[in-house]
Amino acid sequence: MNKKNILILLAVLAILGGYLGIRMYNKPHVNVAESDPDLVLFSQTLLDDFESDEISANEKYLEQIIQVTGKIQKLGTANGNGTITLTNGTSMGSVICHLSEKENKKMVSLREGQEIMVKGICTGYLMDVILINCVLVN
Amino acid sequence: MKTIQFLLVSVLFIGLAHGQEKYITKQGYISFFSHSPVEDIKADNNQVLSIIDTSNGQIAVSLLIQSFIFEKSLMQEHFNENYMESHKYPKAVFKGKIQDLGDLTADNKTVNIIGELTIRGITKPIETTAEIKKLDNNIVLNGDFLVEVKDYNIKIPSIVANNIAKTIKVSFELVHQPYN
Repeated sequence: MNKKNILILLAVLAILGGYLGIRMYNKPHVNVAESDPDLVLFSQTLLDDFESDEISANEKYLEQIIQVTGKIQKLGTANGNGTITLTNGTSMGSVICHLSEKENKKMVSLREGQEIMVKGICTGYLMDVILINCVLVN
Repeated sequence: MKTIQFLLVSVLFIGLAHGQEKYITKQGYISFFSHSPVEDIKADNNQVLSIIDTSNGQIAVSLLIQSFIFEKSLMQEHFNENYMESHKYPKAVFKGKIQDLGDLTADNKTVNIIGELTIRGITKPIETTAEIKKLDNNIVLNGDFLVEVKDYNIKIPSIVANNIAKTIKVSFELVHQPYN
């Protein structure tokens, strides 16, 4: 291989490397709406797991896309985005779903007491289990 | 973690009989900001839990590390996996006392807050000032403070050392509602 070919090869590699680097750097956030859930369960099961053993629940659920079914206790907003509190009414805690911006307009069709399915990313448990970037599943 | 939870629940229930002294938010806002010559990095958390007991000025704030949202998902990934190890340490907790809380009005007043901040399992004393007011029966607490990255043993690889500030500015905006 002569010198010229090596230079061309190096240039191609540098451009490819740069391109991949930029793509990596700009990697998009996980699209919850288009992803299959890692786990599907009732909101109460999710809450019970965190209330009984938070450490193992963290291992199981953190950062996972979780689809829960539950009854709406309360509808609200937090910094402009909709929140849905799911509970069976007997526990002190609940599952709080923070909707993604795109889902906000669907809030108007929801009623307290209604049973719904929501998909979101679990970030952990404070007094309640928190799901973020949530979308409604029909 | 159990201890933290116990403390939070205790703060919530002690003196519940006194009625309208506890104020709570489950969707408080906390953000942090890192400025460096290379880039500015910001992340927002809208799921902050904060409880104030107005009878004695006690305040307890806790948040989930994974609830911080970055503009770039790669940064969020590095933040969780490499710097904060959020699987191992999912929460950050502040416990403290608002000094000389006194009576609150619709006008902001400046108060000192002294307490302890726990991040990555490391607890350090912290003191800051904040603005507090009571608006439509909500207690609004605003302010910011600085956190030294090295205080919490957060290891930043030398390759990105210039991208991340040594001192991070944390801002909070907590609108507490009456509890029950």
